[in-house]
Amino acid sequence: MADLTVDLGFRTLKNPVITASGTFGYGEEFLPFFDLDILGAIIMKGIFREPRPGNPPPRLVETPAGVLNSIGLAGPGSEKLQEIIRRLHTRTNTPIIVNVCGEDDREFAEVAAVFSAMDEVAMLELNISCPNIKKGGACPAQDADHTARLVRQVKKVVGKPLIVKLSPNTADIVEVAQAAQDAGADALSLVNTFLGLAVDLEKRKPVFANVYAGLSGPAVKPLALRLVREVCRRSYVPVIGMGGISSGRDVLDYILVGAAAVQIGTVNFYEPGAAVRIIGEIETEMDKLQIKNLSEIRGKLQT
Amino acid sequence: MQDERGLIEEAHSLGGDYFLLKIAAPRIAATAKPGNFVMVRVSPSRDPLLRRPLGLLESRPPYIWLYYQVLGHGTKLLSGLRPGDGLDILGPLGNTFPELPGKRVLLVAGGRGIVPLFHYARAYGEHRPLLLLYGGRRRADLPLLERIKTLCLQGLFIFSEDGSLGQMGLLTDGLEKIVREERVDATMSCGPEAMLARVALLLKSRGLENRASLEALMGCGFGACHSCVVLAADGSYRKVCDEGPVFPLEEIQWRT
Ligand SMILES: Cc1cc2nc3c(=O)[nH]c(=O)nc-3n(C[C@H](O)[C@H](O)[C@H](O)COP(=O)(O)OP(=O)(O)OC[C@H]3O[C@@H](n4cnc5c(N)ncnc54)[C@H](O)[C@@H]3O)c2cc1C
Ligand SMILES: Cc1cc2nc3c(=O)[nH]c(=O)nc-3n(C[C@H](O)[C@H](O)[C@H](O)COP(=O)(O)O)c2cc1C
Ligand code: FES
Repeated sequence: MADLTVDLGFRTLKNPVITASGTFGYGEEFLPFFDLDILGAIIMKGIFREPRPGNPPPRLVETPAGVLNSIGLAGPGSEKLQEIIRRLHTRTNTPIIVNVCGEDDREFAEVAAVFSAMDEVAMLELNISCPNIKKGGACPAQDADHTARLVRQVKKVVGKPLIVKLSPNTADIVEVAQAAQDAGADALSLVNTFLGLAVDLEKRKPVFANVYAGLSGPAVKPLALRLVREVCRRSYVPVIGMGGISSGRDVLDYILVGAAAVQIGTVNFYEPGAAVRIIGEIETEMDKLQIKNLSEIRGKLQT
Repeated sequence: MQDERGLIEEAHSLGGDYFLLKIAAPRIAATAKPGNFVMVRVSPSRDPLLRRPLGLLESRPPYIWLYYQVLGHGTKLLSGLRPGDGLDILGPLGNTFPELPGKRVLLVAGGRGIVPLFHYARAYGEHRPLLLLYGGRRRADLPLLERIKTLCLQGLFIFSEDGSLGQMGLLTDGLEKIVREERVDATMSCGPEAMLARVALLLKSRGLENRASLEALMGCGFGACHSCVVLAADGSYRKVCDEGPVFPLEEIQWRT
């Protein structure tokens, strides 16, 4: 039988499938569908210090094989999330990862410190790449210097492994990735959503109040896969790949270009049991392709 | 809450844009209550990607009934399904209409908004006095009338904007008179936003217990995506899929 375990260096996961931030609620929403213990890890929806209402509706519209979202990181604030995490931890042994957000560098560090101190939290993912906070989609991950400064500041106050989540909406994602790992990131995750635009022709207006929104889902997979490959070629820390994964074969594609593990996002919305199916498919595909261990194909793309 | 593979038993075109499906979905049917809805995957392909929310017209184990209006791509695909076809259905989702035993309840249904109220009347009509106020643009928008006549109702009031069926006008034109003359204790409404806003205005400070079932664009239907929000009267957002779809009428900030 195929061995699905993944060694991140600082932590081993039972398989490479991690549920992506913002697409798996706070974990609890999926308890009716399957036993969360089967997952590699769970990432919480992005969190700020204070509760946030999020953006006005509409917040999510469909595109061909994808969705554009402008949720605006609605959330209960970090105090309430601690309670939720404690509750979730009693229901599953799967590592819980907190997706840390901030309006400014100080808030990022403050929120990271709070969750780093929690026993129930396995790692942190620094969300420096959300396009739905500022109008125009600006975020720290668009700039290598800002990324380095922020990662260094956060590293100083956390004791847990720090994953830094990168944005595809930058001129040179490899440069930002290098800056993040040089500044102390323990792993990189990519990509967050692609900036996109939807317009209402009748009203001559953008569909979203924030004008631009983030594109995800199967439509983005080829774009994301290329960026993951580019970053993997130059990184010395583990890379967690994502964008448009909806099958076991998609997961293996990401591993082949060098990803250590993956995250699954949008698919959770239209198929709440997707993680179970995908993990099953990885095993069957590996058996079919006679791959015993994921490291046999990791980064083995031949060009 | 289940992700169940339903089997289509009957598929009827009711004329115009309206369709009715009878589906064997025993696990969902076993627990569905009036007000609950389901998310259906109209196509196994990636087009459209997201499921579509639909109310339950009726649920009598092992069957559920869906009644829908073709609006766009997803509902159009749904109308192509035939008996024997399978359909992935997630449900039952959301909260329910309160039962309110002993109360005189007026159901206010605009167009396809009849769906959860029909379910309510079917489930509770025999145990309490129920009245139904049902309106649409024209006769063709009220194709469920024959089925409605099989419900246990103490009063039925029909409105159409063009007068082709029942009284001419908006159903809200008749609302105040019915509430007054029929000594209504509570109302449950479902329909277009403009209709619900008008209902809210007309029923304001009358001391009735009022509920409305809302629609919203939904990404998941079970609380995970935070896309389906409506603005509440207190300025905060509510998720329609898991905090609703049924809300006290006064709790919502209606745009008039
Ligand atoms: C809880 C709930 C219960 C529902 N119950 C029923 C039902 O029992 N019967 C029924 O016919 N319909 C019902 N609806 C509405 C139904 O979900 C939409 O009509 C359907 O999703 C449209 O899909 P489509 O692919 O055909 O249209 P699309 O191509 O997605 O859209 C066509 C047009 O309709 C608009 N639209 C899409 N979805 C909605 C929506 N939810 N509310 C308002 N406008 C929308 C779009 O903006 C677009 O302009 C319900 C909605 C909700 C939220
Ligand atoms: C509705 C929605 C909300 C999201 N919220 C977050 C978030 O809070 N933090 C974050 O880092 N990424 C967020 N993302 C991005 C996803 O985690 C993921 O990077 C992206 O969707 C690409 O993966 P996918 O194509 O599999 O969905 C969100 C995505 C969606 C669709
Ligand atoms: S539709 Fe996803 S949270 Fe309501």
